[in-house]
Amino acid sequence: MRIFYVTLKYTAVTLWSMFIIAPFLWALSTSFKDFNSVTGGATYIPWVDFEPTLEGWRVLLRSPAQGGVNIVEPYLNSIFVTCMASFVSIVLGTLAAYALSRFTFKAGFIKNDDITFFFISQRIMPPVVLAIPFFIMLGKLGLLDTLLGLVMVYVVLLMPIAVWIMVDFFNKVPIEIDETALIDGCNPYQAFFKVVLPNSIPGMVVAGLFCMIFGWTDFFFAFILTFTEVQLLPVAIVSLNSSITPWWSLSAAALVSVAPLVVVAFIVERYLSKGNLSGALK
Amino acid sequence: MAQIKLQNIAHSYNPDATDSKYALKPFDMTWVDGGRYAILGPSGCGKSTMLNIMSGIVKPSEGRLLFDGDDVTDKSTSERNIAQVFQFPVIYGTMTVHDNLAFPLVCRGYDKSFIESKVNEVAEALSLEGLLSQSAKKLTADQKQLISLGRGLVRDNVAAVLMDEPLTVIDPDLKFRLRRKLKEINQKYKSTLIYVTHDQNEAMTFAENIIVMDDGEIVQIGSPAELFERPKTTFVGYFIGAPAMNLFDCDAVGSNAIKFGNVEISTKTDLSAIKNKRLKLGIRSEYLQLVKSAGKNTIHANIESVDDWGNHKLITANFEGSNIKIKVKREVEVPTEKIYLKFPAQNCCVYENEMLIS
Repeated sequence: MRIFYVTLKYTAVTLWSMFIIAPFLWALSTSFKDFNSVTGGATYIPWVDFEPTLEGWRVLLRSPAQGGVNIVEPYLNSIFVTCMASFVSIVLGTLAAYALSRFTFKAGFIKNDDITFFFISQRIMPPVVLAIPFFIMLGKLGLLDTLLGLVMVYVVLLMPIAVWIMVDFFNKVPIEIDETALIDGCNPYQAFFKVVLPNSIPGMVVAGLFCMIFGWTDFFFAFILTFTEVQLLPVAIVSLNSSITPWWSLSAAALVSVAPLVVVAFIVERYLSKGNLSGALK
Repeated sequence: MAQIKLQNIAHSYNPDATDSKYALKPFDMTWVDGGRYAILGPSGCGKSTMLNIMSGIVKPSEGRLLFDGDDVTDKSTSERNIAQVFQFPVIYGTMTVHDNLAFPLVCRGYDKSFIESKVNEVAEALSLEGLLSQSAKKLTADQKQLISLGRGLVRDNVAAVLMDEPLTVIDPDLKFRLRRKLKEINQKYKSTLIYVTHDQNEAMTFAENIIVMDDGEIVQIGSPAELFERPKTTFVGYFIGAPAMNLFDCDAVGSNAIKFGNVEISTKTDLSAIKNKRLKLGIRSEYLQLVKSAGKNTIHANIESVDDWGNHKLITANFEGSNIKIKVKREVEVPTEKIYLKFPAQNCCVYENEMLIS
């Protein structure tokens, strides 16, 4: 019976893994193809079904003058904007979330939960509703087509996620931890920075991961709020497209763009399984 | 170390609301320096609120709090120099055991050599020496609770160590040893220990003085023996002791006698000044005596059940509609249907409006 369950489990896991990995393998194989290999029917295995070429990858590093699309600069831009915006969102979001979790706010009928919901409610709106105000505001500030402008917009978009996750996290960190720190002689700031914050790193890692995923994959705002000076990776990948779709370089670019998230996810996953989320009690 | 005085302290969690309700009704109380107290009461009776007011986590809505005559009502928790241990162990999971114990001293800026010597002293007292370099997160619940306690003891000048049901998570055998350890610590450091619990055995074995609370009020303060022998209210009689005190409706019939059903029972209580004739008679199940025949102060009751509790028997009997519990030694022969029960006059407590007539 046990063998049956184990077999069933591994079969399910294998099928699911194949389902997840297949598109990546398909993209990987396509990235080594050329026009003929792509258009001449489905082919799978390099050297057997088709002759591999590095052309799809080379295009990514060539300058436009040489007939390529240089994605190095958009890549660095994307890393900068995502990391900065995630960092600022986590710092501000964590502070806001701590306040919302520990202190009572009241303005008429508006209470803590309403304020928390107010943060996340910005994410309920369709992005296009936000696009026009963002465009006008950044225009007035002279921040259109700049990295700073993008960072600011992404902070607005990512902070609700950070607040939402961290409020939930802090609510699960027992208030006795704060009280004990106060009794042990901390002032409220020390209690937060010395005791509560070190215990909240797992929550911040989760919030950070979400922020990075949302920031890294955004195409819409990166497209609307930039023109020629600054380009982010998703926009650069889309701009690879032309009248004849270059599937090989698109595949290569897609793989390259996913790579950082995979690396981050691996690191974070390890960290999370080591430091458990349960906080300090029991 | 200090004498702690609560002057007319009261607290409400919603003082401005129209349906404002006291979690703690106004009262005065003095905690003698070095004393060992237990606060006993059912859940929600205001025990924890009282502790939190003393430690400064909660600011009382009324009254003043004095430590050795100094008004500390408006002082912050860290300025009060109180140690508090909560129901569930609170440890700083990112620190080692050593750093956990040292934290209160580090926060207060003591120098390193002093901190080392204090940490080692407390670790030794709590048998934690072997664990000092370990991460606090990996310990068992009772070891964690020892650390919480250790953080309270590491400062030698604390005004009091407040404990809010600290042994809940600990298994019975270790509970017993820890209570002894707490007593030793109280004797060694001469620190005032205030211990909140809803377990009367814990309170009885730990404290010199027990404060019984109910519904935001202090009902009685006294030694374990006083609470057992002369409960001031029917609530205390009911709450303290297992089984609870027997309580019967009765009428006053003389200067010190009452009538329970059709039997007259004389007591040591002076009832001559009592206007209200409807009273309650209270007697511990331990003090009811099984006798062979009818006589003075004796009723004839029907046996309903006899339970063997290992070290004693618990008889449940019925007399004119009232249930009576009697605790007798295991070897006592219990008749099968009817028994004569004698009410010793010195053990009878008489209550008027639920208050003991003294």
